[in-house]
Amino acid sequence: MSKSELQNRVRRLRFEHDQMTQQQLADKVGVTRQTIIAIEAGKYAPSLPLAFKLARTFGVPIERVFQYENEY
Amino acid sequence: MNETKAESWFYFLIGLACFLIPGGVAVFIVYDRGISFAPVFMFAGIVIWFGLFWLFPFTFGKLGKRKKKVSFDERDQLIHKKAVMAGYVALWLYFVAVCVIAWCFVGPHGSISVNVLPITLLGGLVIFTLVQGVASIIQYGRGDKDVEK
Repeated sequence: MSKSELQNRVRRLRFEHDQMTQQQLADKVGVTRQTIIAIEAGKYAPSLPLAFKLARTFGVPIERVFQYENEY
Repeated sequence: MNETKAESWFYFLIGLACFLIPGGVAVFIVYDRGISFAPVFMFAGIVIWFGLFWLFPFTFGKLGKRKKKVSFDERDQLIHKKAVMAGYVALWLYFVAVCVIAWCFVGPHGSISVNVLPITLLGGLVIFTLVQGVASIIQYGRGDKDVEK
């Protein structure tokens, strides 16, 4: 999947949640901090379970975290 | 640098140090003096390789003590999978190249020493290890540049 197709608001949501650090978010969803860095930079598209975990951690629907730009 | 990336560097450097350098020396000696060190180097390679695998239980035991910290996740798994695939492709290309080069040098009716076989296998192991390590390092390098808090 190309970088431009999948946008995310992970970084913004982190700051909206008491300026949560990447390490704190990584610990909550059970991944490494490097994976959070890669997701925020749009260099890695997470699996569906991880995407749901991220959305539940922020308490928002998954569509608020990830947006697929190239819609038909 | 997470532990998996450090491990990739470790295997890349070990592969380089333990196989390429003595392998190069062995090839030089074999072709320069006409004596065969191939079985010795094959044995040494196997011993070193098994030595590394014996280290694995200690590594996992060490990681097991730190259960709360995640050191291997789905991204690492994907990177590892792609790196192994890259190593596998390189391995096959290497074997094809060796067969073609041998045919070109010796000719259709020539013959080669059986010592070439273990050297070829050892070379395949080197190629696989190096390509896998490089592929992992390149993939990790892509994702770790945008670091902030």
